[in-house]
Amino acid sequence: MVIVKRKELSLAERLYLPEVFRALSITFRAIFKKKVTRQYPEERLVTTAVTRGQPRLVLLDDNQHLACVSCGLCEIACPAYAITIDGAETERCIEREPKRFEIDMLRCILCGFCEEACPKDAIFMSDELELADFSRAALIYDIEKLKRPRAALQPRIDYFYGANDRWRKRSSTS
Amino acid sequence: MSPLLVTILKVLLIYGGVITLAAGMTLAERKVSAWIQWRIGPNRVGPFGTLQPLADGIKFIFKEELIPDGANKFLFRLAPVLAAAPAMMAIAVIPFAGEITLFGVHTTLSIADIPISALYVVAVSGLGVYGVILGGWSSNSKYSLLGGLRASAQMVSYELSLILAILSIVVLSGSLDLRAIVAAQAGGIQDWNLWRQPLAFGLFVIATFAETNRHPFDFAECEPELVGGFHTEYSSMKFALFFLGEYVAMIVMASMTATLFLGGPEVPFWHGAPWFVQLFAFLAKTSVFLFLFLWVRWTLPRFRFDQLMRLGWKVMLPLSLANVFLTGLVVSFF
Repeated sequence: MVIVKRKELSLAERLYLPEVFRALSITFRAIFKKKVTRQYPEERLVTTAVTRGQPRLVLLDDNQHLACVSCGLCEIACPAYAITIDGAETERCIEREPKRFEIDMLRCILCGFCEEACPKDAIFMSDELELADFSRAALIYDIEKLKRPRAALQPRIDYFYGANDRWRKRSSTS
Repeated sequence: MSPLLVTILKVLLIYGGVITLAAGMTLAERKVSAWIQWRIGPNRVGPFGTLQPLADGIKFIFKEELIPDGANKFLFRLAPVLAAAPAMMAIAVIPFAGEITLFGVHTTLSIADIPISALYVVAVSGLGVYGVILGGWSSNSKYSLLGGLRASAQMVSYELSLILAILSIVVLSGSLDLRAIVAAQAGGIQDWNLWRQPLAFGLFVIATFAETNRHPFDFAECEPELVGGFHTEYSSMKFALFFLGEYVAMIVMASMTATLFLGGPEVPFWHGAPWFVQLFAFLAKTSVFLFLFLWVRWTLPRFRFDQLMRLGWKVMLPLSLANVFLTGLVVSFF
């Protein structure tokens, strides 16, 4: 059996009222403390390369074609089954590209597994965090909504290789 | 203009003012709670969020009204009225200011000047417990019933101390008329009953917290344990009426504290000040206690039920009885 020794209360503490006044003075001083509220639409969260926001697709340097070769690894890695890919052949030297690449943003849990799975540096977690619309259909993002120029994602790409350099080499296309 | 019309005008003015003040209190509650927690509080509706109560009111009106299956529908509808009406009725005798001339009729700024107004306030505000217990019982929900039972036990226990604290003031002033109690405190700050009856003042303030079901005595609601207590099942305007009743009761109790212990509308060192100065003094004194309600809410945790009962019956009741006895002795023999 364990007997917990509690501190004996002093007379002032047992009378309760002096302690009440002490508590009141603490809460009154709190009124004048600096506020911690962030006024959201005006004051936004500061995002950095570490921010793991929504996944976005990387465009090649020509800013036309996706780096994605529709291998389907992100589709398999995705624990929320948010990604749907239909592949197609191309006439370019990179012979495959996605005909359809959809991420259901309502299913996406922003885990970043797709980013880790991708062998072609084609998908990265951007610093975009806001997700709101008026219909479910509008929140299934297609290629048009997902593609980003490489420059927009460069800080994240650099951070990603900095963090994962022990086991991950940059892909030939990056 | 006839005196009757002036009385009706006074009723409209005072009730309009009090309900506006109650709406302001809901905003103040949210603002003060935010400040104490280092937050900003509502600031989107109107300048600095001043129109927030209006937005809340509109929201309340458009909410769906639910009546639980198996509820006693008549009592369920009646309870919010019974909770709000006594507090509203008690407003009638509060002396907001002294003499005033409205459209040529010389009168006082309170709805009714009755010779037993202190007794009237106690009698009427004691009825507020019916709204709470009927609301709790008629909801057909165990949480509501528990909240209602606890609240009624608490309000009945603390009413004794409240009445005895008022009684010691009445003994001192020799009158049940709030006007006479105010007149007895005319003069400077040193004439306030606060200095003559400090113990009664402390007991009265603590008892008002219990009477209005405010923290740390909010056993009627108990958000964490009873999911809202007696008003768990209420929605829409019925819920709003409970809230209005609670805030009006707070205003009544705060203005009673100001009247009994701080000289009510009497301006210190300026006897016979014009009515608007008196009204301002009254509101200033009242708002100190209104702020105290909000301040204490975010300072003290809720008592345990046995602690509440022990405090009410074993500490406050003997103290207030002794206080009345001593006051009686002093008044009789000195």
